[in-house]
This record gives sequence, structure tokens and C-alpha cells, in this order.
Amino acid sequence: MPTNKRIIMAKMGLDAHDNGLRIVSKWLADAGYEVIYAGVYNSAERILRMVIEENADAVGLSFLGGEHLHYSRKLLDLFRENDLGHVKLIAGGIIPPADVVAMKELGVDAVFAPGTPRSDILKRVAACLPLV
Amino acid sequence: MAEDPKIEFDHGKGEKIPHFRSLSGLEYRRIYNRKDWDKELPDGGEYPFTRGIYQDMYRGRLWTRRQQSGFGSPEESNDLLKYLLKVGQTGINIDSDIAGKIGVDPDYPLAQADVGLQGTSMCTYEDMAALFKDIPLDRISSTLIFPPPASVVMMGQYMMMARAEGIPWESLIGTMMNCPFTQLVGPTFQANMDFFPIDLALKIGLDLMEYLIPRCPKWNILNVNSRNIRECGVDAVQEAALSLALGCDFVDRLCKRGLDIDRFARRIGFFSAVHLDLFEEVAKFRAMRRIWARLMKERFGAKDPKSMWFRCAVQTSSLTLTAQEPMNNIVRAAVQTLTAILSGVQSVHTTSYDEAYCLPTEKTQKLAIRTQQIIAYETGATKSVDPLGGSYLVEKMTDELEERIWEMMKEIDSRGGFVECFKEGWVEAELNRARYKLADQMESGELPIVGMNLFRDEETAADIEIFRQAPDMQAKRIEYVQNYKKNGNRDTARKALKNLYERTRSHAGEDLAAPMLEAVEARATLQEVCDAMREAVGFSMPE
Repeated sequence: MPTNKRIIMAKMGLDAHDNGLRIVSKWLADAGYEVIYAGVYNSAERILRMVIEENADAVGLSFLGGEHLHYSRKLLDLFRENDLGHVKLIAGGIIPPADVVAMKELGVDAVFAPGTPRSDILKRVAACLPLV
Repeated sequence: MAEDPKIEFDHGKGEKIPHFRSLSGLEYRRIYNRKDWDKELPDGGEYPFTRGIYQDMYRGRLWTRRQQSGFGSPEESNDLLKYLLKVGQTGINIDSDIAGKIGVDPDYPLAQADVGLQGTSMCTYEDMAALFKDIPLDRISSTLIFPPPASVVMMGQYMMMARAEGIPWESLIGTMMNCPFTQLVGPTFQANMDFFPIDLALKIGLDLMEYLIPRCPKWNILNVNSRNIRECGVDAVQEAALSLALGCDFVDRLCKRGLDIDRFARRIGFFSAVHLDLFEEVAKFRAMRRIWARLMKERFGAKDPKSMWFRCAVQTSSLTLTAQEPMNNIVRAAVQTLTAILSGVQSVHTTSYDEAYCLPTEKTQKLAIRTQQIIAYETGATKSVDPLGGSYLVEKMTDELEERIWEMMKEIDSRGGFVECFKEGWVEAELNRARYKLADQMESGELPIVGMNLFRDEETAADIEIFRQAPDMQAKRIEYVQNYKKNGNRDTARKALKNLYERTRSHAGEDLAAPMLEAVEARATLQEVCDAMREAVGFSMPE
């Protein structure tokens, strides 16, 4: 029987503002995704280990403090080095508009600004992670 | 060619707001009158301080304009402080980066990408001295935003700096926030548990308070960050109940150490949020003043009226800012700043409109200060004490909120107090419930937000200047601290750290502030001091 896609939800580095992470994690779980909640204070290496151990289809990251480009780049590099190019990377949070463009160029599949409606988020996540 | 605009408004029906509930769920009545409230009010500065803690309030002196600031290196932040003071800021509020708050140095691997991002990167005595260069420590009050154990390290550096400048400790004016539960991002569980054992942090915070009470009589030893509680998404009642309950836990522990309440209660303050429900917020502050006064007097037996003062700094809410049409945030912050003044608070940080995207620029911080100055000098809102006092609506709402806050405090009390509720995960569950509810309210439009869930205009892209850090700032800070630990004579530091390790391992029940301060004096870095204690109790941090 096919199961729904597995997505790891996390904040990276030292920023622990997790309102958005909590809310979007619940929205995704309610929509049927299998959410693995990694919480705050993650390193890119830890998320990579989790992706492998949990056989995850995607990682969702929430940012606030300006560390978004650093960690997106690092995680995407690790995915490539470990033949995990198929794993989707989704991000959201306080990210200046120019950086949203830069993140997409790096290969982040979707970037959500604060205040994006639930329906919008679910639609765009489903576009890269179809629900069964 | 432009399409014909679709007009949705029907003048025949008129425009109506969706409901008449307050943010905390109180039902606003159609009109309030004598039947709702018919009591006498105390004077300003009179117990239980409903109308304000001073008789003359802003007629005597204006509130302090205290913008939380700091970014990048201590030197860059010193320039920013001088700029803010030049345009009219009257107090300093130093925010370090997260590494500084959780007690790790910039070269700690997990910290490296966050160095200097959300505040000033600080870890050595020399950093503190560079940050406060040319700032008169006895004439300008400074708030330092650090939880224990970092609070002890930073306080030690601050006191060393005063001594080097010939300023007696008795003259130091300011606040060390010093709360291990609310100083990161509110009382969320994991955020406050992962970098230091919470019981030891609390104990060290109390040690510092005890150390400061006789030595720095003008210095504030604790500030409960009720704003960070609110910004997790709880309502005014929950914010007040959780923060007042936490305040009581500290007072209770200090009393149990044998300290006289009238020697320290006046040195405890609060830092609250101001949200957009104007009258409910005014009622919240008035109710919090009443409750704190009663608690100090009746529960803890304070005799000095100053011990009963609920002194409160505020920052306008960041949760109410929108990334959509960010200029709208200027209006929100102005209304909230006015609300704070109508509530009689002691200092204000007006949040800049660009904080929905980045740290504020100099330009937007100046606008925030100007907002306060316009309210102070042009509106007349400052010319009378408690200008909304006696309004049937505000008085009734103050009574209603007070009752609800007491109710929730009783529940917290029955569960053993805030600290127990935090450790058991009850606080975390409350916060999460509130967050999901808030998200639902935003989705359904029950909480109308103009430009976001109401009158949303997808066409307009945000066009604002974005604050940018110097590209080599992080690398320089990492290199600096690595060299600091490598070079110079480190023997005294090593000896002091060893002593701190031993004391923590074998005598953790005794005062730890003094051995920590000795290590600071010996020029140990922030993380070296914290690590000595982490190692002593076998605590490991996330890598």
C-alpha cells in the first residue's frame, strides 16, 4: 500500500523561534504527510543523518535570523554528495525577497513568506510532494 | 490594457467588522455605563497602583526610549548605540546574538552561521569594553539581555569595565534580565533546555541576584520577559498569568534564601508586549499592576510601597507585523506605542516596520524613536496621569481581566508554580495550543489582519531597504576568539576555571556567582566559564 510522503521539519543553527515551524508542521500532518519533527538547534549533518535513517522525501526548514542561505546551501551540498538529490527542500520564514530568489537558484524547491495562507502552502508542497 | 476592476463592496450593506470579542475572548458590550463600573479609584502612585506607580507619571518624567539593539561586532554595535543616543534614545538595551545568550563562543560549530546575526557577538571582557566605549555607565541606564549562566559572565564583565573607568558599582544603573525561562524565545521547552541544565541556570541566576543586591543597589537584578511569552501566540490573560506566576517563583526563592523582600522586590521588573487590542492592553497593564502589588503586599509581606511596584518596559508586538505591505507596520507600531503610553509603562521599544524581513536599519530605528517622540511631545497623551482611568469600558475590562488572570494563576499555583509547570511541559502545551488557535484565527479571518487575510493585494511586492551585515563579520569574530584563547598567558584563567569546575562539582549548593566572576576576572571567555560548569555536571550540548 502506498504511504504518504515523509517530511522532516526543523530549524537550523541557534535560532529557536519556532511558532512557524510548529504551525506548518501541524498543517502538513493534518493534510496527511508523515511529519518527523526535528525541533530546533539542528546542524546540517544531523538533518542529513535523519534523512537517511528516516528515508525522508523532503526537509522543511524554518528561518528567522538570517541564516537561511548558509544552511540551504550546506544541506543541498550534503544531499548531492550523498546521492540524495531527489530529496526536496522547502523553506519558510523571515527571508528578504532577494534571498528568496537566491535560495531558489540554489535549488530550494519552495520558499514561503510569513502570512502565506495554509491552502497556498499545501498546494505548493503537494506540487513537489504529491499526496496519495 | 488593464482589466476592469472588480468592485466587491456593497454600499447598501455597509462595512462591518466580523465580531466584537477582544483578543482574549472577552465580549465588548455595545456601550458601558455606571452599571458596569461604579467604584472609586486610587490616586496615581497609590496602592494598588491601578493608575500608575508614580503620582505624576509622565508629567514628572517621560518614559525611557529604549530600543533593543545590537548586531555584528561590538565595535559596529557601539557605533549604532551612539547613533541611537544622538537621535534621542534615552536608555540602552543590548541584545547579544544567540551564542552570547546560551553561553557559547563564536567558534562553537553550531554557532558559526548565527554569529552576530540577531544581536552583538560578545564573549570576552574586551568585547564588553568595546561595546560600551564612551558610554557613561553611571548616567545612561543599560539593559543587558542575558539569561543565566551568561548573565553572570556579562555582569562580571560590566562590573570590571566600571571599575576600570573608576565608576563605583553603587552608581551603576540598568538591568540584567537574568531569567532562564523567558529570555530566548519565550518559555518554549527545547529552546531553554538544550544548552544548560535548567535547575542549575535558575540557581545561578538567584546567586547573581544575591550577589548584586548589596553591591549594586541601583541595579535591577531580574526582569521577567513577559513579551517573549506573549509572542508565542498566547493572549493577554495567559501572558499576564504566566509572567506574574514566574515573577512570584523568583520572589519566593529569594525570600526562602532569607532575603528581606523590601531589599530586593523593587529591583525586579517586567518586559511586556503591547498588542493591537487597545483597550484590552490598557486594561492588562492596569490589572497586572494591581495583582503584583497585592501579591507583594499580601502574599510576601512587603511593607515598602516601592516593593509593590509593577515596573514594566514594553516592546510593541512583532507578531502583529506583516511581511505583506510592510509600511502598514508603521501604523501598527504607532498605535501600540500610544497604547503603551496610555497604559503608563516605564520604557518603550517601538518595533521597526522592516523587522518582518530583517534587523532594523538605522533609518527605521530612527523612525521608531521619532514615533515615540511625536507621541511624547505632540499628542498630549502624556499630560495627565492614567488618561483612560474612570472610563466605564476600561475599568470594567480591568476588573474582568484581573479576575481571569487570578483564575489562571490559581491553576498554575495548584500545579506547583510556573517553574514546575514549565518543567512538566504544561507551559509548552499551553503555548502550542495557543499557536494553533492563533493560526486558525488568522486563516479564518476571525483575527483580521489588513493586507494579509483582509484587503490582500498580491500585486504589490514589498519594496524596502534590507539590512545587510558586513560579509566578513562572522569569519572575523570566529578568528578573533580562536586567537584570544590561543594567545597570551592563560594560566590564571585555567586556574580559575578549574576552581569553578570543582566548586560546581562538589559544592553546587553554595554560591557559584563568586567563582564564576573570578573566572571572568581572569579573562576566561563566555563559553569557557559555562563549559567548566557543564563539564562538572556532565551536561552535553547539541553539536
